[in-house]
Amino acid sequence: MSLAPTSPIPDRDAASESSDAQGILLEARGVTKRFEGLVANRDIDFDIPRHAIVSIIGPNGAGKTTFFNQLSGVFQPTSGSIVFEGVSLVGLAPHDVAELGIARTYQNIRLFQNMSVLANVMVGRHVRMAAQWYDAIIGHPKVQREEELARQRARELLDIVGVRRRYEQDLAKNLPYGDQRRLELARALASDPKLLLLDEPTAGMNPGETRQMTDLIARLRRELQLTILLIEHDMKVVMGISERITVLDYGEQIAEGTPAEIRANPRVIEAYLGKQATT
Amino acid sequence: MAGSGSIWRRALTVGLVAGVAVLYLATVGLVLAFAERSFVTGVTSFGRVILAIPPLAAGFVIGSRAGSVNARLAAGLLAGAISGALLAVSLLFASAVDIRGVLIRVSAPLISFVAWDQDAVTGAGINLALAVGLGLVGAALRIAPRSVRMPVLAAIIGVVVMSLLERFLRPRLTELDFTDVARFLYQGGGLTVPAALITFVLVAAIAVAWSPVRSRVQRAAAGTDAGQRSTIRAVLIVLLIGALLYLPEVVGTFFSQVLVSVGLYVLLGLGLNIVVGYAGLLDLGYVAFFAVGSYLTALLTSPLSSLGLGLPFWVALPIVIVGAAVTGLLIGAPVLRLRGDYLAIVTLGFGEIARLLFLSDALKPWLGGTQGILAIPDMFGVPRIELPILGVISGPELTYYPLVLFCILAIFIAHRLKYSRTGRAWNAMREDEDVAEATGISTVNYKLLAFAMGAGIGCLGGAVFATHLESVFPGTFNIIVSITVLSIVILGGMGSIPGVVLGSLALIGLPELLREFAEFKLLVYGGVLMVMMILRPEGLLPDRARQLELHEADEEETGDDDSLAPSAPRAAEPTPEGLT
Amino acid sequence: MRRPGRLSLVDIILWGLRIAIVVGVALGSWATLSAGRLTGAAWSDLIVGGIALGSVYALIALGYTLVYGVLLMINFAHGDVFMFGALTGFFVADGLAEAGFLDANPIIGMLIVLAIAALSSMIVAVVLERVAYRPLRRAPRLVPLITAIGASLFIANSVRGLYGEQVKAYPTLEIFAGKINIFGLEILKTRAIVIVAAVALMLALYWFVERTRTGRAMRAISEDKDTAALMGINVDRTISTTFAIGGLLAGAAGVLYAIVFTQVHWVMGFVPGIKAFTAAVLGGVGNIIGAMLGGLSLGVLESVGPFLLLSGFGVPSPNQLRDVIAFSVLVLVLIFRPYGILGRPESR
Repeated sequence: MSLAPTSPIPDRDAASESSDAQGILLEARGVTKRFEGLVANRDIDFDIPRHAIVSIIGPNGAGKTTFFNQLSGVFQPTSGSIVFEGVSLVGLAPHDVAELGIARTYQNIRLFQNMSVLANVMVGRHVRMAAQWYDAIIGHPKVQREEELARQRARELLDIVGVRRRYEQDLAKNLPYGDQRRLELARALASDPKLLLLDEPTAGMNPGETRQMTDLIARLRRELQLTILLIEHDMKVVMGISERITVLDYGEQIAEGTPAEIRANPRVIEAYLGKQATT
Repeated sequence: MAGSGSIWRRALTVGLVAGVAVLYLATVGLVLAFAERSFVTGVTSFGRVILAIPPLAAGFVIGSRAGSVNARLAAGLLAGAISGALLAVSLLFASAVDIRGVLIRVSAPLISFVAWDQDAVTGAGINLALAVGLGLVGAALRIAPRSVRMPVLAAIIGVVVMSLLERFLRPRLTELDFTDVARFLYQGGGLTVPAALITFVLVAAIAVAWSPVRSRVQRAAAGTDAGQRSTIRAVLIVLLIGALLYLPEVVGTFFSQVLVSVGLYVLLGLGLNIVVGYAGLLDLGYVAFFAVGSYLTALLTSPLSSLGLGLPFWVALPIVIVGAAVTGLLIGAPVLRLRGDYLAIVTLGFGEIARLLFLSDALKPWLGGTQGILAIPDMFGVPRIELPILGVISGPELTYYPLVLFCILAIFIAHRLKYSRTGRAWNAMREDEDVAEATGISTVNYKLLAFAMGAGIGCLGGAVFATHLESVFPGTFNIIVSITVLSIVILGGMGSIPGVVLGSLALIGLPELLREFAEFKLLVYGGVLMVMMILRPEGLLPDRARQLELHEADEEETGDDDSLAPSAPRAAEPTPEGLT
Repeated sequence: MRRPGRLSLVDIILWGLRIAIVVGVALGSWATLSAGRLTGAAWSDLIVGGIALGSVYALIALGYTLVYGVLLMINFAHGDVFMFGALTGFFVADGLAEAGFLDANPIIGMLIVLAIAALSSMIVAVVLERVAYRPLRRAPRLVPLITAIGASLFIANSVRGLYGEQVKAYPTLEIFAGKINIFGLEILKTRAIVIVAAVALMLALYWFVERTRTGRAMRAISEDKDTAALMGINVDRTISTTFAIGGLLAGAAGVLYAIVFTQVHWVMGFVPGIKAFTAAVLGGVGNIIGAMLGGLSLGVLESVGPFLLLSGFGVPSPNQLRDVIAFSVLVLVLIFRPYGILGRPESR
């Protein structure tokens, strides 16, 4: 089964041609975030190559999620720059960032609990839809067409991530845990993102589900031409699918490189893997 | 049984709560207020019905506990006995010691009413015995199979409703020359005994017949395709609108007036429902929009206002609505970055500010101060209109018909928006504002839109209100209006359109049948808000999504309740197609 | 969250509002002061009155702040808890006066009134928490707020039904009449008493929260409920205690309010309740010292504001608009500094 969307994704090809030359989708330079004296991120330089899977690892409180939140517009960096496809993200509101093509999931799943599974995914499609409130009131024919397309795409995405059809009218909060994670992923995919930010996508999953999720992530990248940035605790997951890894510790970037390099880096072993290995 | 040890303690608690409830209902004045309102004439009054409810409910609650039938019945009896004992002791106390200085309602009439006009000791005995019996009956009712319980409960409710309708049916039947029917049904302000019995049997019979009929209807509905279903829906809507058009004819002038009030609150409720129900913004100052609509209409249409324009209503209306939406934006813009509960308080502040400004001497030259603005013309500028099918329209009907039109329009808009990209964005925002924003929804814009929509509809209500009363006074626009509209939305169910209609009928229409109730209206609104939030936050007529939620809960009761446990039950199942 | 470069419609409206306020306040005060409408004594009278009123607000505000601290909810019914104390106090005072006790031992008598009023408010607050709020501990945020609004209506209208609608007047006491001279200022005795009593209660509260075990538990819960529970703190009991303390202070505030205004009735809880909430927000919700300062500043602002800001413009009967000033403060503080004057922006 193909993963390619039946509905056209605007600008995808044009955009990728224009900046493929350098092959960098997102570029962060000197990103620093302070909270009242506490430095959550210090001077982080970070590139995400197009179509890559890149991971950020680090112990708890290392500033991984803070960095994520700056990419998605929730926080503004205290200093530094973040450029996505030639557009600076600094100063943009989260909804603008989403419109540019960055979608995310959350460490502790955050679904629209009292909305149906299908509606959750369709909300994800919001930025790729155009109907305004007045269109809806007068019942413009294009509204129905757009809704139908969005519904179709939502169903495809549910199939792709593996949430079964019979759940689509159920409330999101009544889904089993694993399906909630998958649903959150489908919602993120619905906005046709170029960059997908996944915050511990396998947290709380058993080994079988973790393997499924890892396969799914790899497959999404391959078939949807996605670029993926991952925060993950599970070292097996990270080492298995990432091309590049960045290690944060106490807000500082202590290493950056391929999985093999990271595995061999003494600072990383001391700060992170050492502890991990003893447990 | 595991729970049998605790069922007695539970009976004690429930009995005490019921007893306190009885005492509360008596001392707060409800019992005496309804003492004269006949329920079934010659048998009992509504005052006694009120006294009977707590022990009955106590028995009912206890009956739902686990345990043998005998234990549950005994526990129900115990709960009733405790409740009755509390009342009996209080009765003895109140008849011995005068506590009227503090609890002003504990008067001689109340004491003798509660004592069944006997001396205190006999009265106490009667109450104790009755409460024991009621507790037992309550428990028995709960233990009885569903096929018995439901018809009995329905029949009891049916008789109560029928008796309440006395206020409306008796004069109306007499007016329409059904004097005999009226006399058969009602006498001395309440149902007659035969009428009560017939109602009971009839409603019970209908309830018994209902479940097979319903399943057949459901089966038939399942067999229809989408086209047929939309045809059926269209026919139903046409029938409903037809009924609405003929309603004033049926109910007469006085109740047409009531219908206007109900319609007005339906309109306000629909507006607030968009703000609170769809977008999840708790607006406690909704009255401000209502007031702005009324005052704008008054200013534009009344020749006596400071503007002195004297525009016709229909010319002023578009200006009013635009003005309202702008007000909504102006009030909304600064407050929308606030978190939910702060937003509620700020809007409350705005509502109060608006009221105080309308009242103040400072703005008197423009808004009339306490005297308000008078001489607002009728909607059509004429006292009566003749229409082809409906005949002569006059009095409250002149407001009723346009109001029905506005309500239908508002329902249409609310419905269209609900199932659109906009409605989904609102709902997402209600569920989780941060995530909605991160998903690409401009939450500030969508909040503003919800505010403006709510304001527009609220102002429309205000405009109708002003032209209906032909005057506006600042005293009308107090926080109570906001709370009433909020209660309507909450009772019906946040986000539910039929819920708004039901809520208005229950909270605005019903009190007209129960004029004794007027003094206790706010007490009941407060109770409604609390009880609904604690016991049934989704409201009486939840919207579709929330109904699903209930449905789901029912299923879970019967089957796998661990489906929410992390990953447990699904792991072994085959992986979804396309992934293996 | 905002875009620095672009000015949205919302920003424009907010800036317009800011400028209008600054200009209005400046012009109004200048016009009033330059016209010399009121004498210095009249001003100081207004200010002392404001402080007395403000200390009552502060006592109520503490209840809001404490509850908000542990539950993150606005206990909308807190104003009615205050009202309940004031009414209970009336019945006690009336009874004591009738028995002749109050005239014989005015100070002990008033202390009894204060104690019983505070206890009765405490009971209402604790029952309210147990019955209405505890079942909703994990519900979405608006649910307990709506419940609290319902509870407010319910309590007020219950009191109306139980005790009647008419206004009740506290017995007047000889020793409270007249003025005393403090540092050359003539102050109404009632005001002085209210200020002293309120400050004493606030100090007691501060000691309780900072120094006792229960106070520490309260602070721990306001930091993180779940962790506090893990550390062996009985969350339910501590929350109950919080409501109890808030209730005690509100009941006492009810009696103090009655000493100043003498009259009490069933709707008296609403407006002071909202104002006390304003005071709590003004000082930064959750902040005890803030609530005290917020109450005092709101009282003074409300007392002085109408004359200072409005009479300069020749607005007729400015005192009618004192509540408008209080509510405007509420709205403006929430819009511009929702974390309060003392607080800092949430680190997010």
